[in-house]
Amino acid sequence: MLQVVLTGLSTGAIYGLVGMGFAVVFYVTRVINFATGQLLMAAIMVTAALSAGHWPVVVAVAAGLLTSTLGGVVIYFLAVRPVLRFNRLSFAWLVSTLGVAIILESAAALIWGTSSLSFPQLLNGRDVNIFGAALTWEQIITIVIALGTVVAFEVVHRRTLFGKLGTAISSDPEMAAALGANVTLHAVMAFAVGGLLAGIAGVLVGPISFANPYLGETYGIYGFIALMIGGIERPAASMGGGFVLGILATLASTYINPQAADWFPFVVVLAVLLVTPNGIFVSGGALRRRFDALRRKPVAASGSAV
Amino acid sequence: MTTAVQLERIAPVARPGGRARSALWTGALVAYLVGTGVLAHSSSYEQGLLLVAAVYSILALSLDLVAGATGLYSLGHAGLFALGAYGTTILSTHYGWNIFLALPVTVLAVGLVGVVIGALSLRVSGLYFAITTLIFTIIVNVLISDLNITGGYTGLASPPFPNFPHALSFLGSSLAWAVCGALLITVTLLWSIRSSALYPALLAIRDSEPFASSVGVRTSVTRVVIFSLSAALAGLAGWTFSFLGFITPGQFDSTAAVNILVMVILGGMNTRSGPIFGAVFISLFPTVVSMNPLWQEILFGSIFLFVIVFFPEGFVGLLARGGRWLRTKWRPQRGRARPLTEGTPKVTEGTLNANGWGPARKGAGGAKVDVTVQGQTDGATPAPLLPRVALEARGITFSYVKGVKALDNVDFVVERGSIHGLIGPNGSGKSTLVNLLSGELSPQQGTISINGERIEHRPAWQRPGLGLMRTFQTAGMVKELTTRDNVGLGLFSQFRFIEARSVIWPMLPSARRDSRRMAAVASTSLSAVGLGEPWSASRLADVPHGIEQLTQLAAACASQPSILVLDEPLAGLSAGEVDEVATIARRLKADGVTIIVVEHQTRFIFEVCDAVTVLAAGELVKAGSAAEVRADDRVREVYLGL
Repeated sequence: MLQVVLTGLSTGAIYGLVGMGFAVVFYVTRVINFATGQLLMAAIMVTAALSAGHWPVVVAVAAGLLTSTLGGVVIYFLAVRPVLRFNRLSFAWLVSTLGVAIILESAAALIWGTSSLSFPQLLNGRDVNIFGAALTWEQIITIVIALGTVVAFEVVHRRTLFGKLGTAISSDPEMAAALGANVTLHAVMAFAVGGLLAGIAGVLVGPISFANPYLGETYGIYGFIALMIGGIERPAASMGGGFVLGILATLASTYINPQAADWFPFVVVLAVLLVTPNGIFVSGGALRRRFDALRRKPVAASGSAV
Repeated sequence: MTTAVQLERIAPVARPGGRARSALWTGALVAYLVGTGVLAHSSSYEQGLLLVAAVYSILALSLDLVAGATGLYSLGHAGLFALGAYGTTILSTHYGWNIFLALPVTVLAVGLVGVVIGALSLRVSGLYFAITTLIFTIIVNVLISDLNITGGYTGLASPPFPNFPHALSFLGSSLAWAVCGALLITVTLLWSIRSSALYPALLAIRDSEPFASSVGVRTSVTRVVIFSLSAALAGLAGWTFSFLGFITPGQFDSTAAVNILVMVILGGMNTRSGPIFGAVFISLFPTVVSMNPLWQEILFGSIFLFVIVFFPEGFVGLLARGGRWLRTKWRPQRGRARPLTEGTPKVTEGTLNANGWGPARKGAGGAKVDVTVQGQTDGATPAPLLPRVALEARGITFSYVKGVKALDNVDFVVERGSIHGLIGPNGSGKSTLVNLLSGELSPQQGTISINGERIEHRPAWQRPGLGLMRTFQTAGMVKELTTRDNVGLGLFSQFRFIEARSVIWPMLPSARRDSRRMAAVASTSLSAVGLGEPWSASRLADVPHGIEQLTQLAAACASQPSILVLDEPLAGLSAGEVDEVATIARRLKADGVTIIVVEHQTRFIFEVCDAVTVLAAGELVKAGSAAEVRADDRVREVYLGL
């Protein structure tokens, strides 16, 4: 059981990182960047190609992360900004970011071919024993980095003016701009961070997935589902969503059958969305309220006893 | 004087050009049938291509009905499409059903699934609706990939489609006729809805649900039914698709779900032909453009990007711009819009008597009310048929959050034919009380009655039928419609069976007549608040705030309510406009309408109102005549803190 949970956490961490990539962008700009998965793929491909060209692994990884970060910014200026300037509330970004996704995927296939390339092993791949559950160092590092990202994001989000302005912009860009917030800068940053998060996920998953132009679609979908489970309004919640998704998928493939990993999480997600339409981890969500109510009762009881 | 008679008098008898238009449509229909005939005789390769494009057109059109017009961005249509296709194939090959028996069964079944998904839209909205429906598609996809009966990943071969009998074999391929027939039915249904009186109501549901229900639209039911209709059409698309070759899970996955929405957006959302353009482009492009598949994909993606970045309204936006450009080039002196600044609104004393609202008509029972109100207008004593009190709320208690009472045991009594002011500091519960009267909210305790009839638990959309109309503090109407169409929406409750008739609206003489009446009454109502040309033909998005407020007033008055609730009608109006509203209110009162005004501007309240009720912190402070209230010490205390 612990094995399942830990394996699930490490897979879920990847989904969660991609989900956060979606969420950070959505949070500030109200746009879902459908090319997020393709940015993950771009990071993997660049890293793999450079390390195949005998560059040091560190340089290759840095170049991969840089590619996905800059890729995010380019997508903003090319596909999102023009559309939002026409109508902030239309769904036109769906088409334009999807267009970018198609271009990126096909371009990668043109450059590197459609078969998988090898990806540099960052660590030796030896197992570590945690209370009877075996995990590779990569899996552990994946979980740690994922948690670290959440903490870093929350600190910036809650403790810095820059992060708070992000909240202001997400609820009313015109008002925030009138108060002096640089809306464009925030949007650019959001797309850059979104790309970076997808890139980190890519570099972490690369040793398992190898480098293939069509990885973007797979991880894009799972990341998106992590986003839905967690709730769109809080980027850090996507990580929780990713963990839930990862554990559910591992549970299903272990205890039901290998194919169940394809559908079991979705059934659970559908059930969750019916109960709490805005995601599990959103404050004020139905589950959260019920949980809070449960927690408050004993307190009230003890209060009356005193 | 009944409305029907009055409407008859206002409405033009026949619309000029109506005959030319029907000739044009007949011509288009003949051309479509000839085209189908040609297609039915062409090579199977060409048929294969175009029929797939036709099926996707049905699908995209069905999605546009919910996404474009009703604001429900569904990604579940790929799943519904799959249910239609797999359902037909399994019923026919596995259970040996006749395909024409399978047709109504699948369409109906998918429509019922649509009811369930549509009901979801009452719980989740916007992006979350898209996400929830996407999960529906994913689950359907997983099921058809993993089940034995669906053939797993290899899919199912299509059932045979019967040929025409010998006598009709000159028509060519029967399948081509079936698919084109399905497309024709879809286009007819959807274009009819677009030209019906239901269409503005759908836009109102999308943009401003409170406004929609305040004019009598049953928003929840309508949304569910429209989604179900759209789902049934997706099922129809699935039925036709099942005959066009192998069906595999890959054709109905999440990518397909997004692609259908892309067809709609790329072609032009919420337009007549946009979804068809988008569907034809996306389904034909990969086959028609032959080049290296990867370069082809890159070109495909670039077209997405290019079209949306430069023409955010899609292909139709591009065509419209091209059309405008050509027109200005050929006829530079025409087609220039008149500036909107012409003709400022002005209410003249005579307007309302000449062609404006007649005496109030709606109430407990049509004709009876007429007598009463007529009598009042003439200055005689009211007939004893109706109680003197038009609206009565007793012991109203309401809380948004448990323990915090927004209204506590409030009584509110409004006499027939009076202007009744409702005032109080911010947070005193005025808007809550108004929302209770209009049915947006339902009180936890207490009773509300109109003309003695208890209504506190009746839904908002039934209020117009009882003769109660309201306006909102911040006017939420449909920005992309003209002011006249918005006012026409105010008449929604006055015409029967709009929903049922909408699917064949232009073909019904009665419906066409109703449309003309609606437009005529709306114009009259607009000029009654001082908005004539060019305002009546301006899109609401293009008019200033004051005009929007007056439009809202005209919409509420168009159906000649017996009780009118105005929630801060003066918010953001200029001094001149305030005087206009005062004039309008007095005219309405003279016509026998009971008016309830929530307002902050005390000058307006004490000048115009006969009686005033003062609320503070959810409690009744004072109710009485304007003079009494003005002299009351507690009111001064509440307002001035003395």
